[in-house]
Amino acid sequence: MMEEWIIHTIVRGLALGTPLIWAALGEVYAERSGVVNLGVEGMMVLGAIAAFALAQSTGLPYLGLLVAAGAGAAAAMLHAVLVISLRANQYVSGLALTMFGLGLSALLGRRWEGLPLLATLPEISLLTYGGLALAIVLWFVLYHTRWGILIRSAGEAPAAVDTMGVNVFLVRYLAVAFGGALAGVGGGLLSVAYRPSWTEGMTVGLGWIAIAIAIFASWDPLRAVAGAFFFGALFHLSFRLQTWISPEPLQMMPFAFTILVLALTTRRGRGAQGAPEALGLPYVRGER
Amino acid sequence: MRWLKAMLVIVLIFTFATAGLAQAKLKVGFIYVGPIGDYGWTHAHDQARKIAQSKLPIETLYVESVPEAQAEPFIEKLIQQGAKVVLTTSFGFMDGTLAMAKRYPNIIFGHASGFKRNPNMFTYMADFYQIYYLNGLMAGALSKSGKIAYVGAFPIPEVKRHLGAFALGVRAVNPRATVHVRWLFSWFDPAKAKEATEALIAEGADVFAFTEDSPTVVQVAGKKGLPSFGHYSPMQRFGPQTVVSGQLVHWETIYMDFLSKVLAGKYTADNLQNVDYWWLLAEKAVEVGGEFGTAINPAFTSKLQAVRVRTADLGQLSVYDLVMRRHAQMSRKPVAFDPFTGPIRDRKGRMVVPAGKTMSILELNTMEWAAPGIVGPWPKEP
Amino acid sequence: MRIGPVELERRPTPSWNWVLTVSALAILLALALAAVIFWSYGVSPLRAYAVIIRGTLLNARALPEIVRNMIPLLLAGVGLVLAFRALFWNIGAEGQILLGATAATWVALFSPVPDGWKLPVMFLAGFIGGAAWGLIPALLRLRFAVNEVISTLMMNYIAVYLVSWLIHGPWKGPEMRGFAFTDAFPEAAQIPVIPGTRIHWLTLLLGIALAIAVAFLLKRTRAGFEIRVQGENADAARYAGIDPARTLLLVMIVAGGAAGLAGVGEVAGIHRRLLDPNQISLGFGYAAIIVAWLARGSPLAVVLTSLFLGIVFASGDVMRVALQMPARVTDVFNGLILFCLIGSERLLYWRVRWAGHP
Repeated sequence: MMEEWIIHTIVRGLALGTPLIWAALGEVYAERSGVVNLGVEGMMVLGAIAAFALAQSTGLPYLGLLVAAGAGAAAAMLHAVLVISLRANQYVSGLALTMFGLGLSALLGRRWEGLPLLATLPEISLLTYGGLALAIVLWFVLYHTRWGILIRSAGEAPAAVDTMGVNVFLVRYLAVAFGGALAGVGGGLLSVAYRPSWTEGMTVGLGWIAIAIAIFASWDPLRAVAGAFFFGALFHLSFRLQTWISPEPLQMMPFAFTILVLALTTRRGRGAQGAPEALGLPYVRGER
Repeated sequence: MRWLKAMLVIVLIFTFATAGLAQAKLKVGFIYVGPIGDYGWTHAHDQARKIAQSKLPIETLYVESVPEAQAEPFIEKLIQQGAKVVLTTSFGFMDGTLAMAKRYPNIIFGHASGFKRNPNMFTYMADFYQIYYLNGLMAGALSKSGKIAYVGAFPIPEVKRHLGAFALGVRAVNPRATVHVRWLFSWFDPAKAKEATEALIAEGADVFAFTEDSPTVVQVAGKKGLPSFGHYSPMQRFGPQTVVSGQLVHWETIYMDFLSKVLAGKYTADNLQNVDYWWLLAEKAVEVGGEFGTAINPAFTSKLQAVRVRTADLGQLSVYDLVMRRHAQMSRKPVAFDPFTGPIRDRKGRMVVPAGKTMSILELNTMEWAAPGIVGPWPKEP
Repeated sequence: MRIGPVELERRPTPSWNWVLTVSALAILLALALAAVIFWSYGVSPLRAYAVIIRGTLLNARALPEIVRNMIPLLLAGVGLVLAFRALFWNIGAEGQILLGATAATWVALFSPVPDGWKLPVMFLAGFIGGAAWGLIPALLRLRFAVNEVISTLMMNYIAVYLVSWLIHGPWKGPEMRGFAFTDAFPEAAQIPVIPGTRIHWLTLLLGIALAIAVAFLLKRTRAGFEIRVQGENADAARYAGIDPARTLLLVMIVAGGAAGLAGVGEVAGIHRRLLDPNQISLGFGYAAIIVAWLARGSPLAVVLTSLFLGIVFASGDVMRVALQMPARVTDVFNGLILFCLIGSERLLYWRVRWAGHP
């Protein structure tokens, strides 16, 4: 009985965790390079409609996910131009992107509403394992390769990157675009695997959860996987446990738990909150 | 700077030059609480609006996704656009609609699922409880584990009433079956609906009904080959082999009835104080089925015919026949059968409907108790 | 630097004149881009804008709703200006609004406060409720180094479920026949409105007063000075002996409290009962972030930027009713306006001259 509970919860954690892992990994990389992107919800939902539309019309869900990655990257580029080259406020730009993405996806998705998708992916698919593998790869790249050093430096001490002769803007652009692509895939997984259908706003706040997971993970890819998985598991449990515990406090549980774990485990020392030093600050050559 | 001023003048001229022309048809405005693509409550109202517009000499306007507390400004705007009838389609619009009805005594207002009226404001509702009873009969017959699942949105009387009717139906076929409920606290949330359904599957439930504005529950149950009942919109297409039946609505019956009476002068802005549509099967405002015209998915006919049950008034018959007979009884005017006829005790054993009595509309609309067989959290249980 | 007939030179601080000009141009650009949307719906963009202007700026009946929307944006926005000055990225205004609303509801319905005192105590309670909700993430950051973006975000969710529990459970009133609402507030607990409108003017005055008070705090008090230095240069602040903990706590008390006051206004001025949390906060907490950013650090400017955003929302409403466009069009429209305003920020730091001027 206990094993059934554990196995089932693990499976559910992976199921909801898959789209969250992809989106969170993307946000980890983007923020590591020093750019806050609060537009994950917008990028995910754009990825969701792109993937659904493609999968529905071509019958190829993987193609849908590929296009979703493109959609997410394109949306992220909008944010990137505004905050990197035009040095705008990153928090507001991300919010605008979320708003815009939700609106645009709803308009584009009108004709796809109310249709069941035939070409679906299972909720635990190649992309689940792919996501885990990606996390390991991204962790390795981040900590053990030159690329990773550049990305991390762009986030911690951009001037250092500059003196190495590498273009900080380029590193940040690539990181943000990459983050967008992964967010798009995460959204696509929602509409093609997790809940194969399209309704406007179907990301129901999961993009914000992905941002939270990235921060929760102290911007580490492996911890992000753990965070995504745990959130999925807790979210599921908040329904499983309704038999014994009143529903309303249960619904609070995943969120309160997140704060509690953070409070108990965040390490001091690396920046004020473990954040990349230059997170949220535009880089101006010659000024620092 | 001068060119900016010039532009301003041009814009102002243009603004007034393009004022609209007067219109001849009756303008009817609809206020929706959700998006028309939700494939649930709002979608059904919008479909009905289109049907009414195609069959009556009216022109319709609609506004979607209006937050419940923002009814007033949108009603105001619809009236400014020339609407002479304004219909608001969610309980939460009630106070705002009433306030506007008092402010505009010459405009006709209609409010769905509410209870406050005015000489120029009527109320209307198409309710599913009879349909849920029929669905319950089928669920009781099809469940092998005896555990039936219900994913509920909010623990309010409307959902409790539907859950209650469903459970009464289930128990009428299988007196030992249980109906397991999980609450989402949201009308639309695919992730929550999915995880709630998965939780219920893990607990051994094998037949699924729900109140949520998406086909998520159908899809999740269908993936494991488990039968389910569609909700509000035709969902059989989301599970052609797994959707047994469901609840479908025809708001257009109410809209057309009311609007044609307005056009004929029978209903005016003075005589609506007591107009309250509580329309059910007999008025054809609701329909049982997972697809229009299909009360029971043919894939399940033989299964339902194979289960026999004994009843007090119809003797021994197959569940299939029972469903058909009850459907006929409830489609008559006056109804020959009502699921909420006493004696009924709630799940705590208290008598809530005495023998010989049937629940009144008011009692149905304020129902908080849980029917026997329901297992799970039940906020505000008396 | 010269580009064609135009000369560009840097300027460190833009004048308000220039800010308004650049912003106006950015909005015009957004409107031009948005023309594509109208055209794709078969609506002539020129006609669309005519309808929108007629429906908002030139419509006396639209003004009350614009002001109604402005009130919570003004209050929360002033608080956020302060928070952002201290570089505390408070995404939690939604939750703080809800806690203010909840505290006010308790006073209105369940406390022994006598009628004459109800409203002032409700405002006080709302301020305290919102401030408490804002203090928690501040303390989490100070004591446990928890990033405020995630903590304020999580607190939003918790607040939503808290209100949800109250209205479905202990505080559900019998008046609404089982639907999830508390009973209506007694008359003494309702904020009076300007007759014929939904403008709960007491809260509006409170908002304006708060804007003035916070402006005074920032410019003329030592605490304000510390907040400004802390935000602009943390190292300098440390050398000057400014305690970052104290400034942060002060900032979040005011920011959370301001949002709490917005919640009181909503629940006592508009709804007159506690209801579904999303209906109370209505996204004001997020919109206030935009209002605060547009105000460029000036609490007084929030009066204008909240009005501006009220007009933008009103234009969205007109689009939905008069032009019968889908609700989500307003998100695209507002997003475009925001993007153009955001993108134009850089231009603020340049001065543009005609090179051919005598």
